[in-house]
Amino acid sequence: MRPSIKHHTRKLALILMSAGAILFSLALTAGHAAAQTPLHPTFPFLDKEGGNVLDSGKPVSTMQTCGQCHDTGFIASHSFHADAGLSSATNAGSTSTGRPWDTSEGLYGKWNPITYGEPVDGTNDLTWLQTIGLRHVGGGPAQAAGVEMNCFLCHLNSPDNDLRIEMLEAGRFEWANTATLADSGIVSYTAGNYEYNREAFDENGELRTAFLSIQDPANQNCGQCHGTVHMDQTPLVLTDCEDTGWETATTGIVFAAQMLTNTGMNLKNKTELTRAHDIHVERLVECTDCHFSINNPIYAISGTDSLDNLQFDPRRLDMGEYLFQPVHQFARGQSAQGSIAPELKDSMRRCESCHVVDETHDWLPYAEKHMEAIHCETCHIPQMYSPALQQVDWTVVQVDGSSQTTCRGVEGKTGTINDLVTGFNPALLQRKNIDGSIKLAPYNLITAWYWVYGNPQQPVPQEVLQAVYLDGDDYRQEIIAALDSNNNGQLERDELALDTAEKAALIAAELEALGINNPQIWAEVQPYSINHNVADAGWAIQDCETCHTDESQLAVPVQLASYVPGGVIPNFISGTNTIANGRIYTDKNGALFYQTALDKNSTYIFGHHNVSWIDWLGAAMILGVLGGISVHGGIRAYSARKQAKHQPELKKIFMYSFYERIWHWLQTLTILILAFTGLVIHKPEMFGIFQFKGVVLVHNIMAAILVANAALALLYNLLSGDIKRFIPEPKGFFNQSIIQAKYYLSGIFKNEHHPFEKTRENRLNPLQQVTYFMVLNVLLPLQTITGILMWGAQRWPEISNRLGGLPRLAPFHTLISWSFVAFIILHVYLTTTGHTPLAGIKSMIVGWDEVEVHLSEPESTEEE
Amino acid sequence: MKNNKFLWILVLVISVALVILPLVLFLPFDKTDKVDPWANVPNRPTHTDHTNLISGTFETGQEVTQACLECHPETAGQVMSTAHWTWESKPIEVPGRDEPVTVGKKNQINNFCIGIQGNWQKCVTCHAGYGWEDETFHETATEDQVDCLVCHAGVGTYAKGDYGLPLEGIDLTIAAQSVGVPTRQNCGSCHFNGGGGNAVKHGDLDESLYWPSASLDVHMGEHNFQCIDCHQTEDHNIKGRSISVSLDNENQVYCTDCHSTNMHEDERLNAHLDTVACQTCHIPQFALEDPTKVEWRWSEAGQDIGDDPHVYLKIKGSFVYASDVQPQYLWYNGVADRYLLGDPIAAEGPTAINYPKGDINDPTAKIMPFKVHVADQIYDTVNNYLIQPKTVGEGGYWTEFDWQLAATLGSQITGLPYSGSYGFTETIMFWPTTHMVQPVSEALQCTACHSEDGRLDWLALGYPGDPIEWGSRFENGN
Repeated sequence: MRPSIKHHTRKLALILMSAGAILFSLALTAGHAAAQTPLHPTFPFLDKEGGNVLDSGKPVSTMQTCGQCHDTGFIASHSFHADAGLSSATNAGSTSTGRPWDTSEGLYGKWNPITYGEPVDGTNDLTWLQTIGLRHVGGGPAQAAGVEMNCFLCHLNSPDNDLRIEMLEAGRFEWANTATLADSGIVSYTAGNYEYNREAFDENGELRTAFLSIQDPANQNCGQCHGTVHMDQTPLVLTDCEDTGWETATTGIVFAAQMLTNTGMNLKNKTELTRAHDIHVERLVECTDCHFSINNPIYAISGTDSLDNLQFDPRRLDMGEYLFQPVHQFARGQSAQGSIAPELKDSMRRCESCHVVDETHDWLPYAEKHMEAIHCETCHIPQMYSPALQQVDWTVVQVDGSSQTTCRGVEGKTGTINDLVTGFNPALLQRKNIDGSIKLAPYNLITAWYWVYGNPQQPVPQEVLQAVYLDGDDYRQEIIAALDSNNNGQLERDELALDTAEKAALIAAELEALGINNPQIWAEVQPYSINHNVADAGWAIQDCETCHTDESQLAVPVQLASYVPGGVIPNFISGTNTIANGRIYTDKNGALFYQTALDKNSTYIFGHHNVSWIDWLGAAMILGVLGGISVHGGIRAYSARKQAKHQPELKKIFMYSFYERIWHWLQTLTILILAFTGLVIHKPEMFGIFQFKGVVLVHNIMAAILVANAALALLYNLLSGDIKRFIPEPKGFFNQSIIQAKYYLSGIFKNEHHPFEKTRENRLNPLQQVTYFMVLNVLLPLQTITGILMWGAQRWPEISNRLGGLPRLAPFHTLISWSFVAFIILHVYLTTTGHTPLAGIKSMIVGWDEVEVHLSEPESTEEE
Repeated sequence: MKNNKFLWILVLVISVALVILPLVLFLPFDKTDKVDPWANVPNRPTHTDHTNLISGTFETGQEVTQACLECHPETAGQVMSTAHWTWESKPIEVPGRDEPVTVGKKNQINNFCIGIQGNWQKCVTCHAGYGWEDETFHETATEDQVDCLVCHAGVGTYAKGDYGLPLEGIDLTIAAQSVGVPTRQNCGSCHFNGGGGNAVKHGDLDESLYWPSASLDVHMGEHNFQCIDCHQTEDHNIKGRSISVSLDNENQVYCTDCHSTNMHEDERLNAHLDTVACQTCHIPQFALEDPTKVEWRWSEAGQDIGDDPHVYLKIKGSFVYASDVQPQYLWYNGVADRYLLGDPIAAEGPTAINYPKGDINDPTAKIMPFKVHVADQIYDTVNNYLIQPKTVGEGGYWTEFDWQLAATLGSQITGLPYSGSYGFTETIMFWPTTHMVQPVSEALQCTACHSEDGRLDWLALGYPGDPIEWGSRFENGN
């Protein structure tokens, strides 16, 4: 075909278009390169009066500087990080903790024995700011000292937190926020003076883009106050539970993606730990992904999201509106200690909001039951891999003025890399959620002892404690004399403890001598929720035996302390969401333990719980039967020896059809296996070599076979009319029963004939009839029904629950099992009462029986 | 009912069904794709001891081969049809070239010792044959020139020298009596020494694999694999391909020959497999023990500044060695563009000898780790192509240190015209990192790539940004 002009034009257009496309894509590429720099516009730094700090040389005001675009007043007043409990401050003693000196639910006013410090009473704000408040972001209670909410601390790529803290401690409050900028090249700090780096600003006094490092808060930003965050691949080193950051010290959580095999810690078995501390950190889920600003339109959970007819409400804030007024209330869970901003509890997405739970747990028996009773964290945070606080003893003071502190999860007390970090299993306590549900969740329990005085009580000031214990850089001679157990003239770490009443009384007297009125030792257990350091499926608890044994992880005692200062037994602090109704006790070494109490009336745990009277009754039944047959059998053997051998006239008749025999032995097999597997499930700790999950599976399969076999037999007997053999005839039943009983009780020893002739049509004697009637019509159906209901508790929980649920069904099932076992023993014994001991069993195998002839009857002509 | 003689069969069937049905209903059947990786690992039968089968003395390697052929007459013919003998591929159609082309050590160059033509004396030390002295070798060679011993002789009994002949002093009788299934030592004697010495060429193949630890190579270290457990061999045709000497990807060895494609317990990891080669995560570094050569400057050869085999040699120029090297990551669909003798060098930047093919839009391409070797080598500044110089032997650069002469002599042998004017140009070569698979505890974690300073240059790979945030190239999220 001849190319037309039109064709040429099109070709040209194509060339031009593709050239354009190339240019456009080049431009796009260039655009991408530019997008590497932050979108945040540049801005001048302003002081409190709104003047450029380059001109005034004054400290930077975050409210003014960031307030040029953002509504900083709104942000500071919508932030529980800034508020820290100030706005909810109340009279001393009326907070949820119950401590007589606590004045709020936040960091400001909620005293903590771990950090000690002075109780906040409104007169000592500066002291608070320079101690506890070093972890506070500014604004709120710090406002009075001129410390504004510190935007830089969370939004700068490399904030200088150390210099910020230094300024606060030095009382140079106004420079604290400016100090945060010292690592960014914007301001330099030399010889106590701040100088703005003019190179960092353009001719308009605005920051040059090269110095702009504003960002969404990264994990490291949060970690400055919240705990150990370790995002790079250099080996992480942690040796003890002090100075590791708040959350790490109190719970052992570490925010690190690093594989534990590569950790720098002296961690036990680390070569096998091919997991990271936390799967979410490993998978690049950041703090702010879950703890988002609640009006961030990307994450916001709208109230209407929960409407039945809506999955998602698209009516959201525009990005601009959000950036102008980003609420700095962050979505949060409901941790035990988080009593501030209760309205935000459970405002974050929980595990099951992101994760598909049903499909991934289809392997788990009673998946729904499990999830009703336990939080995801319980199985998915099986082990912490760093030390955490266990015991804080402020009844004594070390030479550096600190408390005597004990970590859990570490062997050795040198505080160096030589100590072996073993990690620890979280304590499992029931947690009362705000939706009213109660589920098990993991915790670290920290127990603290400290002196209080006065009325209402107050913690004894640290200076006073130090005055009692210390003389300059060493302990006072009196203290050494009183506590130096090995008389070497020095106080070792282990000796520094008020482990006897005399020692406690001595210190109390010393305190009183210093004007401390009525000193007493108080003690409290603080539960700290563990919600991080999540493990993926491969590392989560999957062994049933972890919980379903006598030594269940759910009830394993948790050590609270290695000694009890002053002999004061602590109580759980109130105001947390835990149900701490367990047992606190000391062992023979004086160590203190807590054991969770799991109420078997509400939570029945297979393999862990049992109703002891049922087991005793079962044991009594079996022992009774064994005893009875021993006596009976003994007398039989004895009388048989004394008397002439009984030689009845025998005839061979066909007694049991092929089907009957198959049925019988299949039942035998399944019942034996059921009894055994049932026992393993009931007492797994006695059968450690069996895998619980597998045993449950075998039990279920055998039960299904048994039930089907029984149902089929019922059908067979009904259709064939053989059912009649099993139904006792009312006429003469009692007489005949008595005759039969008499035979067993006396005649059998005297070599008498069996009172009733055994025939194919009438092979069961009256006692057998009534026994089988009970076994087949009462025990078997009951066992079947309870078994099905227990198995079905995961499918039709409402039916099971109507009958009392597992706490009722399981013990009942056990009781019937014992009865079955007792029956089987008796049954087997009675098969030996034929003309020879093995005749009965033999006939059930071959079908032909030799029976005693009483009256002459025509021989059975039946053939197999 | 009772009269039916066969009723018992029915009863039996029902009873059996009674047992089997609950089993089928209750027993969990694992639906995940579980493949036993050992199923594909060959059982190595004990090799027949040849000590008593071979007698007499052998003067030459050829005599040994003749002895082998008495019992294994078909073997020499088999070897002579494989690349280990031909050093040249079969003709292959390549897009952009008019005629089918062949590549191989025989006729092409690399950016190590450049090329073998005219340099047979030294280069064919590693040829599985005897006496390759000139370009006529493959037309004239006889079956007894196949070197059986290099692959089959026992450890420490055999070594080759010039022209591929046994080194002087080798007791060929002992070597012949020691024959067995090829071991790492047999393969390694050449493949670990590619490029002129241990660890020079590949980075993931070197003498550390003779006695490897589990952390160096999980297959050879922990499970004591031999090369041929993966490079399985039939009729002397050994499985495996390398983009340095191959244009196709036939007969390749894959991880998935033994391992399932969804073997990770974690769905998210399995989802990576459409885009990321196994090697990318499981070989985080190469040259773990022995440093490998990453740079070779031929242009600096010929100076008397003191020789150090890892820094400078007068005959070869200067080198850079590196160990614990992080690979470079490129899209790769299994084949590469091969520079052929006579091709023009790159107009800008270095000339790639074998640039891996594939890009983000190629669904068969995956992100694969490579060792990248940079060199400069001689080229014809007028004709604008690389030159294959004569280095070994009479008039060669290694004796005369005269590039002009080496280029002229090389040109006479290859037939590629030489203008008389030479210079040096940068060339790069890519070596897929595929050995030294490390234990799972060493495998890369998410943050190795998905982080601010991650290993992958997303923009260079063609992504708008980290696919964890920007989405992946496939709709299914892989």
